[in-house]
Amino acid sequence: MLAAAFVIPVLTDSMFIINLMVLMLIFIIFASAWNLLAFSGQGSLGHAAFFGIGAYGSTLIAAKSSISPLVTIFLGAAVAALIGILIGLTCVRLKEWFLAMVTFGFAIIVQTLTVSVLAPVTGGWDGIASARLISPTIPSYQLIEYYAVLAITIGSIVALWYIMKSKVGLAFLAIRENELEARAAGIDPVRYRLLAFAISAYIAGVAGALQIHHIGYLTPEIYGVENSFWPITYVILGGLGTLAGPVVGTVVLTIIWEGLKATGMTFGRYVIIGVILILAIIFLPKGLVSLPEQVQEWRKRFRKKEPLQEPAVK
Amino acid sequence: MDNIGVLLQIIFWGLYAGCIYILLATGLNLIFGVMKVVNFAHGEFLMIGAYITFTIFILTGFNPYLILVLSMLALIGIGAVIERLCFRPILGTGKLNEIFLSIGLIYIIQNGAAMIWGDAWQSVKSPYAGITVQIGSLDVPFDYILIMVFTAAILCGLYLFLKKTTIGMQMRASSQNRKGAMLVGIDVERIDIISFGLGCALAAAAGTLWVVSGQVFNPYMGSIPAVKAFAIIILGGLGSIPGAIIGGLLMGLAENGAAYFLGGIWKDAISFVILIIVLVVKPTGLFGEKGE
Repeated sequence: MLAAAFVIPVLTDSMFIINLMVLMLIFIIFASAWNLLAFSGQGSLGHAAFFGIGAYGSTLIAAKSSISPLVTIFLGAAVAALIGILIGLTCVRLKEWFLAMVTFGFAIIVQTLTVSVLAPVTGGWDGIASARLISPTIPSYQLIEYYAVLAITIGSIVALWYIMKSKVGLAFLAIRENELEARAAGIDPVRYRLLAFAISAYIAGVAGALQIHHIGYLTPEIYGVENSFWPITYVILGGLGTLAGPVVGTVVLTIIWEGLKATGMTFGRYVIIGVILILAIIFLPKGLVSLPEQVQEWRKRFRKKEPLQEPAVK
Repeated sequence: MDNIGVLLQIIFWGLYAGCIYILLATGLNLIFGVMKVVNFAHGEFLMIGAYITFTIFILTGFNPYLILVLSMLALIGIGAVIERLCFRPILGTGKLNEIFLSIGLIYIIQNGAAMIWGDAWQSVKSPYAGITVQIGSLDVPFDYILIMVFTAAILCGLYLFLKKTTIGMQMRASSQNRKGAMLVGIDVERIDIISFGLGCALAAAAGTLWVVSGQVFNPYMGSIPAVKAFAIIILGGLGSIPGAIIGGLLMGLAENGAAYFLGGIWKDAISFVILIIVLVVKPTGLFGEKGE
């Protein structure tokens, strides 16, 4: 898959495919960020808030200081992380549903603030222009941009892999499985949950900033429910809490999505995505990543039934 | 522009909005009480209820207040099917799964409705539109009064159902102690289906009342009222129906107050600001019990 990611842009001339792959990579980063938070047992329904804050942060810093967007994406994400810690402070003591509600509401509050109090800076509902990641004056800037995004994607995944394998990752797991026992083992759940919030918000902020510098224009629509639900859908289908899950889920669903788009479906696409999501939750709870094991499991069950019918043959 | 008149108007609008929230929140609470499931897609049932009323109204021209009953009956059926196909298989596999499943349902129902009815804004004209009643210094639309009467009637009906009928008593037993209910021979899975269907019917009632009050609707309108209803049951305490009623009224008042004093843009955000403040002070909700 990695090889394909490197080679495909060189082989194709189609700007459509390169554009699609850039967006796919960005959503891999975003889904991975959401996945880390879920890995620590916290399911957020409002990750678009951090995605959007990263985008606004980076765009505004780039516009006010004329620093290259390649640098400001990391500064904008820091803003997202800071706000992530703030909202995390309210969330760390909450149960699943409450947390889901607070994060969902938080995205709406941020959107409201953006179009009301902050409108003089953010441009309100009209939005603002955002500097391109790589200036369009450079020849074949799209390719450079693609490889820059690819590098950041690989960087984020390696960083997440390191976090999930480290002691911090183990602490996240312990808290998710049993908070009381984790506490007994000397893990402070509040501190680690906040840490998960901060890291997840930071990476989501990077993804948001990348997307907006890629598109070149930013509106408050970025805080919409769609942007909060997509990473969840990708991760659930791919495999919750695994490193490969978000990657597999994003790639597979993007291909299905674009394929359905080619058939001219509009609302039907969402219905199909919803059906796929529900089927995955019921029949493949560990996601596509676990498909090989699941197939073996199903085979075993199938074989067990067979000998009952013809016990003589052996 | 006398202040008391404005205040009265805010209170009255708040009560009207509160009625819709109460019906939604009570339905959610009913489902939560019995199944311990929170259905984030609950607002989609409100939307479906609104569209069913709309369709029957267009086809037959009946009084929309009469269609309310048909719409509720239809949603009992739809709710039962969804419970059986989607929620039953994942009961007890973790709360995050229920949240994710609801997201799938939201995708399917919203866009399925958009395929059937299109995504344009629709509205229904109530037969009583334009009739107002003088209360003090205030002209109140007659529809709003009817909506409050209907809400009160539905809630009384629900109360009697839960207190007096066998199924109602079985529902209360299952919500108090699921295992105990099983032991005394109650078919809890049947009770699950009935509670889910009833919860959806209440959402359909909310949708119908939303429609007859002259509000516009489209397939995506259900989400925001539903999350507000969810905020209400967090404030009022999970599983507590009196909590849902008080919370619903307060939320309606707070919202309309905020829209007047802070500007209409804050109408949606204010409920979450309140929710976050309450949860910071008391993580289990205003009247919530400690633990699960």
